[in-house]
Order: sequence, then C-alpha cells, then structure tokens
Amino acid sequence: MISWIFQLLVFPGLTFFVWIAFAFEWLERKTAAKIQSRVGPLTAGPKGFLQPVADYFKLILKEEIIPKYSDKFVFLYGPPLYFSVPAIGAAFIPVLGEAGVLSHTYDLLFILFTLSFSVLMASILGYAASGRYATISIGRLILQYTSYEVPLILSILAPALLARSLSLSKIVASQTSIWYIFYAPISFAVFLVVSLAELEKPPFDIPSAKTEIVAGWMTEFSGRALAYVKLTKSLNYVFLSALATTLFLGGPTLPITIQEGFTRSVVSLLVFLAKTFGVGFLIFVIKSALARIKIEQATSLLWTITTPLSFLQLLIITMFR
Amino acid sequence: MSSDESIERAVKETTAGLIQYSPEGLVPFGPVHPALKEPEYFKIILEGEKIVQIIPRIGYAHRGIERAAQDRTWIQAIYLVERICGICSFSHSLAFVQTVESLTEYEVPRRARYIRLIIAEMERIHSHLLWLGLVGYWTGFDTLFMWIWRDRERVLDLIEMITGNRVHKSYATITGVRRDLPENIERHVQSAMKYLSERVAFYKEIVNSEATILTRTKGVGWISPDVAIRLCPVGPLLRCMGFKRDVRVDDPYAAYDEIVPEVKTSTDSDALSLLNLRLEEIEDSIRMILDAITAIPTGPVKTTVPRTIPKGDAIGHVEAPRGELFYFVRSEGGSKPTRVKIRTPTLANILTATEMLKGHTLADVPVVLTAMDPCFGCMDRLTVIDLDEGKEWQVNGEQLRRYGIEWYKNNKRE
Repeated sequence: MISWIFQLLVFPGLTFFVWIAFAFEWLERKTAAKIQSRVGPLTAGPKGFLQPVADYFKLILKEEIIPKYSDKFVFLYGPPLYFSVPAIGAAFIPVLGEAGVLSHTYDLLFILFTLSFSVLMASILGYAASGRYATISIGRLILQYTSYEVPLILSILAPALLARSLSLSKIVASQTSIWYIFYAPISFAVFLVVSLAELEKPPFDIPSAKTEIVAGWMTEFSGRALAYVKLTKSLNYVFLSALATTLFLGGPTLPITIQEGFTRSVVSLLVFLAKTFGVGFLIFVIKSALARIKIEQATSLLWTITTPLSFLQLLIITMFR
Repeated sequence: MSSDESIERAVKETTAGLIQYSPEGLVPFGPVHPALKEPEYFKIILEGEKIVQIIPRIGYAHRGIERAAQDRTWIQAIYLVERICGICSFSHSLAFVQTVESLTEYEVPRRARYIRLIIAEMERIHSHLLWLGLVGYWTGFDTLFMWIWRDRERVLDLIEMITGNRVHKSYATITGVRRDLPENIERHVQSAMKYLSERVAFYKEIVNSEATILTRTKGVGWISPDVAIRLCPVGPLLRCMGFKRDVRVDDPYAAYDEIVPEVKTSTDSDALSLLNLRLEEIEDSIRMILDAITAIPTGPVKTTVPRTIPKGDAIGHVEAPRGELFYFVRSEGGSKPTRVKIRTPTLANILTATEMLKGHTLADVPVVLTAMDPCFGCMDRLTVIDLDEGKEWQVNGEQLRRYGIEWYKNNKRE
C-alpha cells in the first residue's frame, strides 16, 4: 500500500511528472530562444534550468487579486482541480514497465475523459473569472474543442484498433517488435496537430491569443491561481507527449529484451524520457515556425483535413489487418 | 456654450461614456494592451467575433510638446520635437529644421543634404523592419518577429556609428547636420546593406509563401480606394491603394532631387500588399543609401547661423516612414518660436484604419489596426470633440487641472 502511494505521488507519479513539466518548460523556452537567436533563461540554475521552478514559486508568493464580479469559490478552488486533471491522467502512463500506476483494462477511455475534462475545467475557470476577454476566449476554446475532439479520438483509436485493446499496457506490450508509428503514420501526424490545438500552441493559440484578447481565459488570474494554471499547461504538454510516446512509439519498451530487474527499470525510464522529450521537441519546433490562424480557419482545417485523414487511417488499418 | 459648461460636459461624458462603459459586446482594446506599444483606447463593439463599430479615443500620451516648444530656443526645440517619436525621430527634427531654414536665407551645404538623405533612409529601413517584425508578433509568429528585429540591429548600429545615438539621433541642426560622417563608414554601410538586401529578399519569400501568414493577411483590411481617399490617409497606406504620392518625389528635399526614389505602389490595398510594399521600399532605400554613399560630395556639413530667426510663417513637410509629416512654424524674430504646429502621419491615418476594420473579426484587429504603423505618441491631441453638438474646443492648463480634480472626486479609489 505504501509503495503504491509512493508510486502514485512521487515516482513515477505526480512529483516525477511535475519535474518533467518544469524541464519541458525550460526546454520549450530554450528551443524557442535558439530558433529565434536569443539566449533564453540563463541565470537560475545551470543554463537557466531552474527558471520555471523559480517562476512557479515567485507566482505562488505573489498577491492574488480576486476580481469583484468573479465566482469566488470556483476562482479559488478551480485551479487546483484543473491541475489534478492531467496529474491523474499522467498516472496511467506506463513509465517503468508496461503498466502505469493506475493501469486497468479500459484506461484509454479514462484518458479520453481527462482530455475533455481539461477543456471543460478551463472554460469553467474562464467563466468564473468573468472578464470580457475570458468570455470571447471561452467561446473560441469550445468551438476549437468541438473541432478537434473528433480527430483526436479517431487518431487515438488507431493504436487501439491495432492492438485490439483499450488498455494502455496492452497497447505498449503489442509494440515490442514494431512501433505503431510505422503502421499508423497519419494518425501520429494528426495527433501532433491536435495536440497543438489541445495545448493552445501556435497555430492554434486562438483562445489565448495575446495580441487580441490579452491572455484569454487566464487574463484575470494572478498569484497562486496563475501558478497552478501555468503548471497545468506545462503538465498537459508532458501528458500529451507521453501519450504520443505510449500510443505510437512503444512507450518505455525497446525492441530488444532485457532481464527483469533494476537495470530494466532504469533503461525503461531513460527510453521513456528520451521518447517523450523527442515528441515534445518536435512540437516546440513546429509551433515556432507558424503564425496564429483565425478561429474559422482552424475549424475548417480541423474538420476538412485532419478528420478525413484520421478516418482514412482507420480504413487502411481495418483493410490490412 | 461657455468653456466652463463645456468642461463640465466633457467631464460627464468621459466618466459616464468612456470610463464606466458596459454595453453588451463591448471589448476594450487598450489603453494597456499587449498588441499596442503605446497607450491608446479603442472601443470595439462586437457581435460574436464580428466587429460592428470601433471608436478610437486618443489623448493618453499627450505631453504638450507644441506648447513646450514655445518656451525653448530654436536649437533646443530641435531636440524637443525629436522626442515626439522614438522611431522616426530624425524625420521630426528634419521637418522642423527644414521649416526653420525656409525662414532664413542660409543654404544647406550639399554634403549635409546627402547625409540627411542617408540618415532619413536608414531610419526608413529601421522603421519598416520594426513594423514587419511586429506583424509577426501580432499574428503570433514570434520567430519572424525576433529574426527581423535581430536584422534591424545592423541598421541601428550604422545609425549609431554615424550619429552617435541609436534612437534619438540629435543629428540634424539648422543649416546642416551636427557632425561629419566618420572615416571608413562606406565599408560598414556597404557590408550592412548587402546583408540587409539578402535578408529582405528572404523575408519577401517567407511573406509570400508561408501559409499561416498568407491566411492572416491576404484580403484582410481591404478598403475601397474611393472611400479611403476621402479619409485622407498618407504614406504607405495611401500608396498601397494605388495612389502615387510621396513627398520625396513631389516636393524634393535633402538630396532627393539628385538621388530620386522610386515610388512603389500596389493596387490590392490589403495587409499583404502593405507587407510587400514596405519590403520593396526597404529595397529602394538600400539602393539609395548605396548610391548616396558613393556619390557624396566633399565640403562642410553646416554653416553658422545667428540665434534669432527672421520674422515669418513657414510650412514644411517630409516623407517620414509612416507618411507625410507636416510642420508649421511661426517666428516673430526672436530667439524662440512663437508657434509650432505638427500634423503627424498617424493622426491622418487613424480614421482609415478604423474604417478598414469594419466587417472584420476580432482576430484581425491587431493586424489591421496597426497596418498603418501607428505611432500614438506622435498623434495625441487635446482637442475635445463633441459628437452630439458637432462642436470642438481646446482645453487649457487651468481647465485641465480642474478637470483632473473633478475626475478624481468622482472616481475615488475604494
């Protein structure tokens, strides 16, 4: 029991993923800086590695301003709940072996639920803050969500169809010989595009477009609440990269077999980290090379291109299997 | 209406109508907003995402520079008017000194006129690059923004080498420029211009091929030239509608009569054509700088003038990067100007920009509103305009003070 709680809260559960989230944020900022010929974070820690941590604690210590007309209860207790969504979702991701901490037979369904619930929480938080920018932002967020949900589910369905299972551990186990990215490359590409939409990153950073609606639904948040919201966004990043790793890149497994034991755990961990950071890096580079599009353009792109493509992939899989 | 009543009315309108707004669908755009570099307020009334009405309210950065110039000597006033704009500062000082020079009988040496052209064109390159980078920022394309601003440093370095300063050059003076070109500047200019022309060609390719930029700019901000011309736009905004107007050609100053600029026009009148037009203007400026630096004559760069300027009125204008910059100066023969009146390009363009926005969505606001390259600091006025009564009046210092006291009485902090 204590071991299980340790796994859930410390390693490979919550604390582990939060630290990867900080590392992701650092890597994102450093990658963007390199591409844009800047230096990026530099002073906190080696090469500025601790800058996201410093930012987080700085925000925690800052004054929290609660808008007069906000829903105070949701405003105060919503951000931790929002944080818990990807935190729980991450506990299903297999890190050390083929099974995650909370692994069960139909955990892929729960993953889909967390992905939707995260957007729902964001819209509830935005409405609780009740600003004009937030109102517009939530409208955009929900419109964007309805557009990308179908391709998201369809692209996740491809590995499930290949493995004939809705369990993440089964999907990982059946990828020991060959990764599903080779069977379902279109689904992987669609998943990456949809991840950008889920994460509100360019070209889909429409709900938080800063030159139009300041910070979107996050505009009114400050101090502790903003710290939670920002951390959740980083954690979502990690969560989606880890999900792509699990579904398409074989998770923590390698084609070679290693003896059960400590070595295997260490190798699995390193493989998982390498793949997750690889996917994350891919997303950073894509987002750095694009401008923001408009909401109607995003909707039409997601419905007319990504959705048919993911259907096509499913068709190909069912025909050849 | 007496001025007391009008002030009262202005107080009431401002507090009731503009500060404590709350109609349905109103989105405040400014005075502090990530898309705007300077404080200015736009009331945007939305229907969903679509813009129904946009009302600009200017005046947040008013510093009373026209009045302050009357308390300065002619030489001091040059440095004061230069501080109106941080981007086209040389254009302001150039327009002012040219207007003052037209009151005197002194000739500007030919070498000084060439140097003025070189700095004015360098300023145009730096201003256009700044705007192009900001288009990247406004459309969420941060990489483009950072790259263009990195390249802009090259031209800023050149300006610093020649004038000693990067932003406020303090370079123009009555009948010339304050110091000669440094030695071996040609080598630096040529290498920087070569680098810039390569980069501009690259950005031209990006702007016309990158899908996300095209979707954000093509056809966006279109306005019929017939409608637009009645709103009197100036500069690139006017040229992108197909009107071939440029002060540098129409009324040559500095050395523009010897090194003739090529006036670029476009007929698309949308944000994309403005991007291309400004890139073409940079190419032309590079050509002119290279021509001028090789053809520059030797000789003095200024003559000494007395501290008083003969009595008279004068007007002068230059083609600033944003369009025609207009100066009126009145002298009564003393050591100080009696009146300085400035009409900046942004003030001329702001109505066109708001007209361009109608029918677009909120997502287009940062791109279209700033297509004219706004410089709100240049633009602010303290004329109160009453839309209902159709009257306008100016406010003096005492009235402003009372207005401030009244405002803070009505808007006490909780």
